[in-house]
Amino acid sequence: MNDPLTFQNETLHSRLLIGTGKFANVETMIAAVKASGTDLVTVALRRFNKAQAEDDLYGPLAQLEKVKLMPNTSGAMNAKEAIRAAMLGRELSKSRFIKLEIHPNPHHLLPDPIETYEAAIELAKQDFLVLPYIPADPVLAKRLEDVGCAAVMPLGAAIGTGKGLSTAEMIRIIIRDTQVPVIVDAGLRAPSEAAQALEMGCEAVLVNSAIAAAEDPEAMAAAFKTGVESGRAAWKAGLMPTSEAAVASSPLTSFLSRDD
Amino acid sequence: MQIILNGEPHPLEGDYTLLALLETLEVEKEHTALMLNGAVIPATSWHKHILKENDEVEIMVFVGGG
Repeated sequence: MNDPLTFQNETLHSRLLIGTGKFANVETMIAAVKASGTDLVTVALRRFNKAQAEDDLYGPLAQLEKVKLMPNTSGAMNAKEAIRAAMLGRELSKSRFIKLEIHPNPHHLLPDPIETYEAAIELAKQDFLVLPYIPADPVLAKRLEDVGCAAVMPLGAAIGTGKGLSTAEMIRIIIRDTQVPVIVDAGLRAPSEAAQALEMGCEAVLVNSAIAAAEDPEAMAAAFKTGVESGRAAWKAGLMPTSEAAVASSPLTSFLSRDD
Repeated sequence: MQIILNGEPHPLEGDYTLLALLETLEVEKEHTALMLNGAVIPATSWHKHILKENDEVEIMVFVGGG
């Protein structure tokens, strides 16, 4: 099924974006990325450490020909640091994609909307495709669209919690009120939740912990692939309207209850 | 002289460009992004920057992240 997701001049053929953190080892991560069918994965920047050279993912990911890299700005405490991280990331990724994330509080890892907004303005001017990780706030989403973000990525629940689409009602409003793609990032645990996000009209989901922390990450990545494809197909098919009153799906003629 | 390399003091004897520093450290250059005193330096310019006393160099690589 040819149903690409486009951001200006970039085209993705999978609506499942994958994070590369928390995997037990590089081999498991690569197997999961392949099984997911994704063509966009996130990576983080860290200081070079010769003693941990095996953590360097550039080599392994470069072997995946069709997979683009989207550096994130994790570790940034404010807009200035995030912009610097984005510039560094672009040097390596050779891609315009940047996952803008600024979450200074390690206890809840919730995004700082003010710093995120300020960084987004500058990064959009610098020709990045800015995909900001944000609270599920329709007003903020609209403001980020207005300053040129390529998408918005509201959280389903806090990072790594696996509490699913706890913000579903706000995400519905964001989908209704913004023109750029809405991508649920963070909080998902089960492929059914990814399917639900796509059924609601999200254009994609970004999943990391749910796959990396599964008993079998490769199999879970494949399950998320199916979930996303199913949800997208359902959204395109058009879900039936809901109704307060029951509506019978079989004829209710009373031919069985004769009075004779 | 001494520079600050990834936040730690690092002694250097003689003149070094950024490129020479990376080669000394046996860093995979294609896998690396560099900052010098807070500014991102593109790989095409690494050979032009000669390090000075107390320069702050950050050598960054991609690792797993969500």
